[in-house]
Amino acid sequence: MPQSKDFKGMIQHVAEIIIDELKLEDVTPDTFDPDLDLVDELGIDSMDLATIALVLQDEYKIVIDEDDYPKLKTLRLICEYIEEKQATKH
Amino acid sequence: MKTVSSLLDKHWHDRYRRISSLNIRSSIYDVTNRCNLRCKGCFFFSSGEHHVQEEMDLRKWEAFIDKEKERGVNLAILIGGEPTLCMDRLDAFYKRIPTYCATNGLIKVPREKFPDMMVGISLWGGGEDEKILRGKDTFAISSKNYEGDPFTYYLYTITPKQVGRIGPVIRRINDIGLKVHLQLLSNDEGVNGFFWRPEELRDLRFEMDEMLDQYPQVVISCKYYHEIITTGEMMGRRFGWKECPSVTESMDNRKPPVRSLIHFYRWAADLETVHRCCTSATRDCSTCKDGAAHMSWVMVNKRDHMKSTKDLQNWIEVYEMFAKLYRFIPW
Repeated sequence: MPQSKDFKGMIQHVAEIIIDELKLEDVTPDTFDPDLDLVDELGIDSMDLATIALVLQDEYKIVIDEDDYPKLKTLRLICEYIEEKQATKH
Repeated sequence: MKTVSSLLDKHWHDRYRRISSLNIRSSIYDVTNRCNLRCKGCFFFSSGEHHVQEEMDLRKWEAFIDKEKERGVNLAILIGGEPTLCMDRLDAFYKRIPTYCATNGLIKVPREKFPDMMVGISLWGGGEDEKILRGKDTFAISSKNYEGDPFTYYLYTITPKQVGRIGPVIRRINDIGLKVHLQLLSNDEGVNGFFWRPEELRDLRFEMDEMLDQYPQVVISCKYYHEIITTGEMMGRRFGWKECPSVTESMDNRKPPVRSLIHFYRWAADLETVHRCCTSATRDCSTCKDGAAHMSWVMVNKRDHMKSTKDLQNWIEVYEMFAKLYRFIPW
């Protein structure tokens, strides 16, 4: 279970999930730019986001609303979103 | 890592950004079971999809469309039957959701009521083919109804008999100031002489390319689409049930899941029944030539087109073509 308080660790873990789910090549969790625009630069679409969201929901025990997808533009924003969701849960 | 900006120069990247934010959510609606033509090869009647009780209460249509809008649909594609036989239902859609009307063009959509509704007129070849397959030369009527209309184009379904002869049809369309999109007949009713042979498809691809070069302002298309629709192949994969993106969401039980249009539905005119896909469930998916399904196939597979600059440019051109046909971006 990832440490939700460890933001850096969360970035690494979410990067790993994105790389695995999208089968990205030539990038590791260490080299994944957390501010890279996932739509404009990585070419991610709604279906990719839905795939990633499913895994994140399981991993972090949160619910990701489909209407929130446009907010999830970068790795950093995804992690901030997860933290926010976890905080409101408690 | 390959990124969009590492593959595209500024011109192409600007084009990419223009379409990447569109988020098109389409669904298809059988507006009515009735038609003023009975064309050989029309999947709607040959598959028996018209055997549902058509909803006649306009208020139920309005409530249904409101729900569709709430569901996130931002492009209503109206087919039938012949949608223009039910102008009140067209109006109900048009007032609520960006709407595209697929018609045979025999009845004119009144522009004072629907000033900018996109209209696609079906055309099945030159006059002779139209008479064989549709009982009359519809172009003679539709061309008078829609001449010069900036929100109308012809959806030209090319038949095997048309190979080598599509130029004159394009010229006629050009002469009346309209645009045209090209697709291929699927021959759902097995009309003799209208099955595709590989050499015909190969020849047609080059003819379609030639038309695009000759009439770039008239033909709304791109060469990658011509390749996909004539070969049935994309990035080494074959089109078919395991690849088709235009399957109604609630009926899609394919495993593993297939990349598909988000929340896509095709609704029957009873507003309750859903059809399997954007064409008929009786069609053999491996020989399906549906143009929109092939375009969507490319569109939902964006990341597969990030292998090279040319692949991504091809993807952009197909997406732009789709967006133009449904007026999300100008011609």
